[in-house]
Amino acid sequence: MLSDLLNEKTITVISGYGLSWEQAIATASKPLLDNGTIQHGYIESMINVVQREGPYINIGPQIALAHSQPDGNVNRVGMALLKTNDSIALTSQDHMINLWFVLAAIDSTSHLESIKDLTKLLTNSDNVVKLLSANSSEDIFKIIKNVN
Amino acid sequence: MKLAAVCQSGLGTSFMVQMNIQNTLEAEGLNLEDFELSHMDVGSATPDAADYFFIESTLETALSNLPKEKIVLLNSIIDADETKRKLNEILDKNNILHTEEQSKG
Repeated sequence: MLSDLLNEKTITVISGYGLSWEQAIATASKPLLDNGTIQHGYIESMINVVQREGPYINIGPQIALAHSQPDGNVNRVGMALLKTNDSIALTSQDHMINLWFVLAAIDSTSHLESIKDLTKLLTNSDNVVKLLSANSSEDIFKIIKNVN
Repeated sequence: MKLAAVCQSGLGTSFMVQMNIQNTLEAEGLNLEDFELSHMDVGSATPDAADYFFIESTLETALSNLPKEKIVLLNSIIDADETKRKLNEILDKNNILHTEEQSKG
């Protein structure tokens, strides 16, 4: 279930004022770093991919899904979410982001159920509106729990 | 018909697109057994790997080895309506009957 991975421990809400997109990805990932899901190299890897390939992790209006190849830097499947109340430009003003999802995968299959739930959550525009107006990790967790 | 969803890593967003493709095919009353759906990273996207490749539009240049007519660019991965609209155009082009024949002409 999505709420097993995305919950009050892995969801962060901050103002985000003055933050760069690199800092946003690092801040979003911090709970996963702290609980041993990922190692620091995974954060660098997610940032490097965007520097190299562009802002393709911008999966919908105001939403990014940062992820990369595990390359030995991921210990188990994990997800995290940072909501920045300010929009932050992901490489350019054409890609303004408020919802920063982080996905840590260990292989090509074990995270797919979570991706399915995440797709269900985000393809419903009502949910996205609710996520964007939520002001605390508790509020966001309630929205995510309702999808399951 | 082989439909592939492609992203840089083949891990996250490509699977989201594959799900939206599958949901559309089901909604259009088609038999999923007539289609081969997959998701892959850009390195695996060789011309023979599928009939059509769905990809987020900023990654277009990563598929420069593929014929342009096989590439379907998506502006938003989570916009299920966009995937549906573009998939229905492909179905029409290939004379595959489906429930909503909206893009004829």
